[in-house]
Amino acid sequence: MPGIGPRTAQRLALHLLRQPEIKIRSFADALLAAHDQVGQCEKCFHLSAESVCEICRNTHRDKRILCVIADSRDLIALERTREYKGLYFVLGGLISPMDGIGPEFLQIPNLIERVDKDEIKEVILALTPSVEGDTTSLYIAKLLKPFTKVSRIAYGLPVGSELEYADEVTLTRALEGRQTIN
Amino acid sequence: MQLEFNEERLLIIGANGIGKSNLLEAVELLGSLRSHRSSNDQDLIHWDESQAILRGKTDQGDKIELQLRRKGGRKAIKNDKLLLRQLDLIGPLRCVCFSALDLELVRGEPALRRHWLDRIVQQLEPVYADLISRYNKLLRQRSQLWKNFRHASNSELKSLLDAFDVQMALVSTRIHRRRQRALNHLHPLASRWQERLSNSSEILELTYLPGSYLDGEEAEEPWRLDIERQLLEQRVDEEKLGSCRVGPHRDEIGFLLNGVLARRFASAGQQRTLVLALKMAELELVTDVYGEPPLLILDDVLAELDPQRQLLLLEAVGQKHQCLVSATHLDAFEGDWQKRSQILREDSLSFIEGI
Repeated sequence: MPGIGPRTAQRLALHLLRQPEIKIRSFADALLAAHDQVGQCEKCFHLSAESVCEICRNTHRDKRILCVIADSRDLIALERTREYKGLYFVLGGLISPMDGIGPEFLQIPNLIERVDKDEIKEVILALTPSVEGDTTSLYIAKLLKPFTKVSRIAYGLPVGSELEYADEVTLTRALEGRQTIN
Repeated sequence: MQLEFNEERLLIIGANGIGKSNLLEAVELLGSLRSHRSSNDQDLIHWDESQAILRGKTDQGDKIELQLRRKGGRKAIKNDKLLLRQLDLIGPLRCVCFSALDLELVRGEPALRRHWLDRIVQQLEPVYADLISRYNKLLRQRSQLWKNFRHASNSELKSLLDAFDVQMALVSTRIHRRRQRALNHLHPLASRWQERLSNSSEILELTYLPGSYLDGEEAEEPWRLDIERQLLEQRVDEEKLGSCRVGPHRDEIGFLLNGVLARRFASAGQQRTLVLALKMAELELVTDVYGEPPLLILDDVLAELDPQRQLLLLEAVGQKHQCLVSATHLDAFEGDWQKRSQILREDSLSFIEGI
C-alpha cells in the first residue's frame, strides 16, 4: 500500500490479527461497502457515493466557476481552504507521454463539453508546476480559450516563510507570477 | 582512512591500482557532491559494504559529511546538522579537478563539452540545475509523444506539440543565455592561460555554437518567440528523424587553436595544454565568484606535462590554491613542486583495501 513500508505493514498486520472477530467483520464490511458504493460523480469526477457529489449539488456554490485539478486529493486540499466557492472538475491525472497518458485517458473531452454547455465564465487551472502539469495546463487552456476565460493559480512563496530561505526555483517562479498592486 | 593536509601541496605517490585516484575522488565527491568517474552511487561504495562515509574539516572550522548508502540514497551533514538540501553542502570545500578523463573534453562528443560548461554555470547559479533537468524531461516527454501519438488525430498531436514548444522555448532561451554568458567569462581567462602555457605560440578561442538560431544581442522575449517559431518549423524533420532538431541539447562548444578546431588538428600535447588552460580558467572564475581559492586536484596529469609547463603551472597555482596531486613516481615532478609539499607514499595508502 502506498506510503507504508515493510515495518509499518508488519505492525498493522499484527495489530489486525489481535482484534476480536466483530471488529474485523465490520472493518471488512466497511471496505466492501466503500468498494461497492463509492464511485465517481458524473459531473466533476470527484469520489462520491451518489451519482452527483455533495459539492456539485450544493446550491450555494457558484456554478459558473470551475477549478480543474489532477485528482481528488487536490480537491480535498483546496476544500480545506474554505475560500473557494465555485465547482470542481477532476481530470484523473496529467498528460505524460512517458507514462503513456494522453488527453484521451483524462476527462478532457468531458471538460470541454461541460464548459461549453454550462456556460462557465471562468476556468481556474490548479495543476502542479511540473513539466506534466504545465503541459496539461497549456493544452487545456488552448482548447478552452474559445469558450471561456482561463486562469492559472499562482506559484510562489509559501506564506509565513522568509524570502531569504526560499530556494531559487521558487523565487524565479514567484517573480514570473508577480502582480501589480492597485 | 584519515588524512590531515598541512602543506600547500599533497603529493600522492604510488604504483598503479593502489588507490590514488580513489582518494582524490573522495575529496572531489565531498566538495562537489559529484565524481568525474561515475554518476552512480553504487559504484562509489566498497563492494562488500552497505555504505560509505566521507568526512572533512576545513581550516575555517566547517565540518562536512556525506553518507552514501546502497539503499536509501545520500545524506549530507554540515556542522553536525542534517541538511534538507544536499546542495547546501557545497561551499566549504570547492574544488576543480583535472584527470586523464578530461582529455575527452577536447576529443570526445559534444555532450561532454556541454556537461563541462553546465557544471561551471551551475557553480555560478544553482538554479541552473533545475533548468537543465526540466529541459531534459521536456525532451524525453516530447520524443515519447511522437512515438505514442503517431496515430492520434493531427490536431491533437499538434496541440500537444504546441504545449511543449511554449515550455521548451522558454527554458531553451534561459539555458542558451547562461551558457553563452559563462563562455564569455571563460574565454579571456582560458586564452590567457593557453598563451602562457604555450609560450605565446598558441591562441585559444572558445566559440558558442547554439543549437537554436539566436539572432542578435541577448534578449529573452525575441529569442523565446524565435525559438518557438523554429520548433514549429522543424516538426517535419523531427517526424522523419525522431528527434528534436532545435534547442540547447544540440549546442556545441568549439575550441579553436590558432584558428583551427583543436579536436581535429591539435597534437596530443596541445590538447593537454588546452584542457589545462580550461581548468585554470575555471579555477580563476570560481575564485572570483566566491572569493575563496578552490582546491586543485590533479589526478595523474602533472607528470605528463613537460618540465617547463609544470613550472608555469606551479607559478600560477602559487601559494593561493591548495593542491592534491597524484603520480606514479616522485621523479616526475619538477624539483620545485616537492618543496613545501607533504608526500604520501604507497605504504601509507596500502590500507585502502580491495581496490
